[in-house]
Amino acid sequence: MKNFSHLLIKEIKELVNKQLIISLVFIVLIFNFIGNITKSEMKKAMAKQKIAVLDLDKSEISRNIIGALNMANFIIEEKAGGKEEVVKEVRSSGLDLLVVIPVGFGQAVSGFQAGEVETYSYLNGISMTGSRKSEIVKALLGTTNEFLSNQYLKKKVPDVNPQLLKTPIKSREFVVVKDKMAEGSASAVIGSLYAQSFILPVILMMIIMYSSQMVITAIAMEKQNKTLETLLTVPISRTSIVMAKMLAAGFVGLLSAAIYMFGFRNAFSFNTGDIAKAMSGVAPILKQLGLTITTQGYALFGISLFLTILVALSLATVLGVLAEDYRTAQSLNVPLVFLVLIPYFISLFTDINTMSLPAKIFVLAIPFSHPFFAMQNIMFGHLNLVWIGIAYNFLFVAAMLYWTTKIFSTDRVLTMKLKWGKKKVVL
Amino acid sequence: MAVVLEVEGLKKKYGSLEALKGISFKVEKGEIFGLIGPNGAGKTTTLRIIATLLTPTDGRVSFLRFDLKKNPEKFREKISYLPEEAGAYRNMKGIDYLNFMAKFYAEDEAEIRQFVERAERICGLGERLKDKVGTYSKGMTRKLLLARALMTKPALAILDEPTSGLDVINSLEVREMIKAFTREGVSVLLSSHNMLEVEFLSDRVALIDRGVILDSGTPQGLKEKYQASNLEIVFRSAVQ
Repeated sequence: MKNFSHLLIKEIKELVNKQLIISLVFIVLIFNFIGNITKSEMKKAMAKQKIAVLDLDKSEISRNIIGALNMANFIIEEKAGGKEEVVKEVRSSGLDLLVVIPVGFGQAVSGFQAGEVETYSYLNGISMTGSRKSEIVKALLGTTNEFLSNQYLKKKVPDVNPQLLKTPIKSREFVVVKDKMAEGSASAVIGSLYAQSFILPVILMMIIMYSSQMVITAIAMEKQNKTLETLLTVPISRTSIVMAKMLAAGFVGLLSAAIYMFGFRNAFSFNTGDIAKAMSGVAPILKQLGLTITTQGYALFGISLFLTILVALSLATVLGVLAEDYRTAQSLNVPLVFLVLIPYFISLFTDINTMSLPAKIFVLAIPFSHPFFAMQNIMFGHLNLVWIGIAYNFLFVAAMLYWTTKIFSTDRVLTMKLKWGKKKVVL
Repeated sequence: MAVVLEVEGLKKKYGSLEALKGISFKVEKGEIFGLIGPNGAGKTTTLRIIATLLTPTDGRVSFLRFDLKKNPEKFREKISYLPEEAGAYRNMKGIDYLNFMAKFYAEDEAEIRQFVERAERICGLGERLKDKVGTYSKGMTRKLLLARALMTKPALAILDEPTSGLDVINSLEVREMIKAFTREGVSVLLSSHNMLEVEFLSDRVALIDRGVILDSGTPQGLKEKYQASNLEIVFRSAVQ
């Protein structure tokens, strides 16, 4: 035990080197930089925006629309002159939105005919601010339309509620999960669950990828620096050597992923406050449907995640044995990354339950898939699927650990090489 | 003299290639035993088996009455192995590397200090031990590794080509370090393709070629037997 902890500390020290610290600080700084830019763009988009308006109609209705635009956080720069001339003028003035209310607009609207409002968006690039302005104007015109149509209907059919005329069919939505039912929108429920679990696959992917990368590198570096042979002859069991490498890599991988996620969340503001805000309206429905995670649920997910990290570490250890140096180690990590990316993308964009049986078997045969789907399965009460995943990964880890220790206890730790052609043996 | 290591009918196959074809030899307490032979003779394979890195295909290796197959961990406690192409952790300072390795063998802090002080004396790197290993020359790294191998006073030090890749001055210094070490009663099993080096260092030698021991004895005895002036000529005569 004394030698094991001694070796573990050395492994952690070897992995937490200057290069790793610099790269992690760099990642956090980059995310911080991206976050600041995004936040300032958002701020700009939310602040008062300047738009140009050409009111050729000068009617009461057109003045009302301009007034409404003013209320909608716009600074109005009213233009005068001909339409073509103003369209050209605004282009050179730096403004990026022009609203033109043509002559006869008010008269047409008052006479129950369609009145046209023209909007000109000047694109100088792709930014949030540009698209937001035209969206606000569109929404505003939609509200004006709603208001005007209600007024017409009241005039024409005074005894009937205009809303009833426009939407004669009312719908009530119910969501059913197993034997539980709640009134609410299915899309809101799914949206809320998605918002809660969106970050989870990213965290999973980062942890698995970082940890496996660490252990492959640790073993490859022992080979490259010619320290492995010496280490294998010191009085410590081979199992301890394997476990120390895996534990250290797991710890540093978790730490790296945590730092990465901290930067990521900081940059894109996926904080708990946002999620809570998104959930607040749907929370009672989720509770009613039993779509909340209990402590046992989290514990089950934790077991699934822990076993998956062990799978990644044991697989990476074998790959590390195959690597001859740091460079080979980098390329050997690629297949592992792909095995993580498959369930990652499937969990983001598709429902595994709707996939064909062969595709489902293929995905579930990848040990990394199970924690990606575990949370969903726990929420929907498919606990047997979670337990099957845990059992599968447990057996996988046991087999891999046995195999890895075997490799480290025999010649193979020194002779196993991913080499095409004749095997080179040192006599 | 007491026998420390006994190798009997040792065989090793890599697929269809028979690297060792049943070699036998003994190493006695306090002696330097040299395995000499050309590249590919089977020297490194023999040393790696005794160092518990490779498993033999057949034969028996016993060390201080422990059997290699049954008690490899006992071998690791009492032997020290210096591979031909060894390195140290580049990000560690020389002194930290010695400390790290000493902890595997020492019982307590006092013994760790004792091992490290001994290593400092053996390698003679002085203040440079406070620098990172990555800044060392090849000769300095080799001296550090040799000091690491000898600092714990192992019952048997296995040295594979101890002066490999070193210049004349460094080679001489390393040889003197090995000689001085055995004066303390510790056994050494070394291999080299440099037969003059082995002749200078060894009390007894075994001539190995293509996995077979051709002959063994003291350098002087072999030279007399083959009427040769040095071990290189002895080896050529033995091969013929």
